[in-house]
Amino acid sequence: MKKNRLFKLSIVCMTIILLSGCWDIKDINKRTIPLVLGISKEQGGQYKVTLQIPVLKNESQVSKVVTGKGESITSALGKIRTNSENAVDYTQIRLIVVQNNLAHNQKELSAIVKFLMGSEEIPSRSLIAITDENVEDVLSSINDKLGVHASSIYDFFNKGADWAPEIFSTPVWEVYRSLFSSTKDIAVPVIRSGKNTVLIFEGSDILKKGELMDRFRPEEIQLIRVLQNKNEKGKIESLGFASIMVSNSSIRLTPSLKNNKPSLSSNLNIKINVLERNDGVTNKKIIEELERVIEKRFFQVLKRMQESHADIFGFGQEFQQFISYNELKNWRDEYFPELKVNFEVEVNME
Amino acid sequence: MTQRIQIEAVFIIIHLSFGYVVYPNLIYMLTKTAHWEVIICQALLQLMLIWVYIKGLHYFPTHNVIDIYLKMGRWAAIVFLTPFVINLIALASLNIRIHTEVIISIFLPRTPYWAILMLLFFISIYTALKGLGTILRSAIFIFLFVIPLVVLNIFSSVINFNIHNVTPGLNLPPKFLVDIKFFYLLGFSSFLFLGFMTSKTKLIFRQLFGAWVIVTLLFLSVVYIPLFIFGQDTVVTLKNPFLEAMDSIDISWFSFNRQAIFFGVLLVGLVILTNSVLFWMIGTIMQKIFKWHSSYWIIACAFIAFIFALVVPNKYLLEKYFLWSSGAQAFFMIIIPITIFIYGSWSNRGVRGHEEK
Repeated sequence: MKKNRLFKLSIVCMTIILLSGCWDIKDINKRTIPLVLGISKEQGGQYKVTLQIPVLKNESQVSKVVTGKGESITSALGKIRTNSENAVDYTQIRLIVVQNNLAHNQKELSAIVKFLMGSEEIPSRSLIAITDENVEDVLSSINDKLGVHASSIYDFFNKGADWAPEIFSTPVWEVYRSLFSSTKDIAVPVIRSGKNTVLIFEGSDILKKGELMDRFRPEEIQLIRVLQNKNEKGKIESLGFASIMVSNSSIRLTPSLKNNKPSLSSNLNIKINVLERNDGVTNKKIIEELERVIEKRFFQVLKRMQESHADIFGFGQEFQQFISYNELKNWRDEYFPELKVNFEVEVNME
Repeated sequence: MTQRIQIEAVFIIIHLSFGYVVYPNLIYMLTKTAHWEVIICQALLQLMLIWVYIKGLHYFPTHNVIDIYLKMGRWAAIVFLTPFVINLIALASLNIRIHTEVIISIFLPRTPYWAILMLLFFISIYTALKGLGTILRSAIFIFLFVIPLVVLNIFSSVINFNIHNVTPGLNLPPKFLVDIKFFYLLGFSSFLFLGFMTSKTKLIFRQLFGAWVIVTLLFLSVVYIPLFIFGQDTVVTLKNPFLEAMDSIDISWFSFNRQAIFFGVLLVGLVILTNSVLFWMIGTIMQKIFKWHSSYWIIACAFIAFIFALVVPNKYLLEKYFLWSSGAQAFFMIIIPITIFIYGSWSNRGVRGHEEK
């Protein structure tokens, strides 16, 4: 009997100990949870941080935009936290928009990416995008559009497979990886606020170790995605006399190295559906034209990349077996400009 | 029979606990290509030591390591085992502190670390006080709870894999074998507890071999998951490669949007069991040598470990001390099995010689 009472008492004590674990927890309704983070730099050298925060109660407004300034991003974020009426919880940030004056500066961008990666609060899987406009305008433009959700800026990048295959979604950790990688560069999407839609996709900036090399239009970016072995499914292509939709694609790369000269043969297989065609246009003509267009586009992109020594396709990755680890560091400057690519497209009708 | 399975579960859990946090960083520092060669070399060396250990223990059925040293003489037990106990205290305290830091960075950013330290210490001391039976039973429970999480972590990380980030190469000169870091690395394979549990069950090498294979595969996955996701160049710049690898996974349809949380929960289970085994070892050693009840020893040593874990000022020193203590662990890993083996074969020959007369 006495032992039983002791046991009950110890259970009560344990509950007290365990419940006290909540002493520093802030309830979810007393937290402010921003979804989008914008980073820019002002004329005076101060960083400006903009947060887009969904508003739950107010019907006429879907989100509010809060800004803070500081000597560093951390201090700007801290200032927002000080001035906010609730606790600000940065762990749910899904998209980070960087203004071009920062993004096009190698030192600044790599510092930002390193900060984002090292930060324990901001998740490293949040997506990153570049804008040429003022970040504040891009984020606040959402309130002017009718019938949009607060999360629509993030949703823009996550339409799902088949819907808008040309949009690159690039998470922070991939940009961080590209700062150190010696064989692969990265494309970061460029956006601006639209007139009727929330955002407009303008293409992608190619970054080599954080340095801006080039900007590509959406249809060129599409090809890069395919070559990086991501599916091109859902892409609609207009050939003038017919329009087609790509229903499946696959690529096979075979690298080889002779006398220290790299060469690569790549076979791209595309399956298409013909959506509409002019009278008298045969399947054969569509196939030939499509193959010609894609090949032409590829060689244009390759030429531009070889001139700027930026390996956006990640072809260097294929040569891991052939070139030693230390030699691979010179891939971009010594091997890549010499690379011969034998690019073949095979189109099949479904 | 059940007990053997339980011992294998403890074997795997302890290895994972040490393996997750610092082990990958050491491997990345040791080599830039062909990481698997280092892991396999370490694992084979460990297998060899386990074989020697078990062979040595088989000379003395119904004895455990402490009994064998006491047989050699009380002075031998004190000389060999007291430093080992000190090392175990340091290992337990640093292990728990290092895990606390990772747990804080995953899901308790605003909680002070002493609170988490206290909770972890409390549970592992309680388990250790309850004795070997409880440890072994809870090992099965934790094993069933942790292994699905490990598998989930491994499979969910596959979506971010890029096979081309890793060079499989074979061209590695074996110079890493003489590197001091390799010695530290060896310290992560803790099998010494086996010798303390043998007085009732006889260990069979073949069964431990199975556990060894699982551990080696898990070590390969711990090292290769960050490598497949980030590549060697990036991985060396990260403080906690495995944690970052888990954090990079974005499965939006999943009910929990952070895989790292699973990793954190898994670490809690691992560290509690590992530390209760360490405390239990300390208790049994001290009880047999100095004749004082083991629970007093466990509480006293755990208190020292707690204070030590609390006063380590920063992460840099923490990792340095942890490496030292695992280096010391490697030293004992070589010394203890070999002395037992030599003593066993020597005394056995003596006995046989005696019988022949």
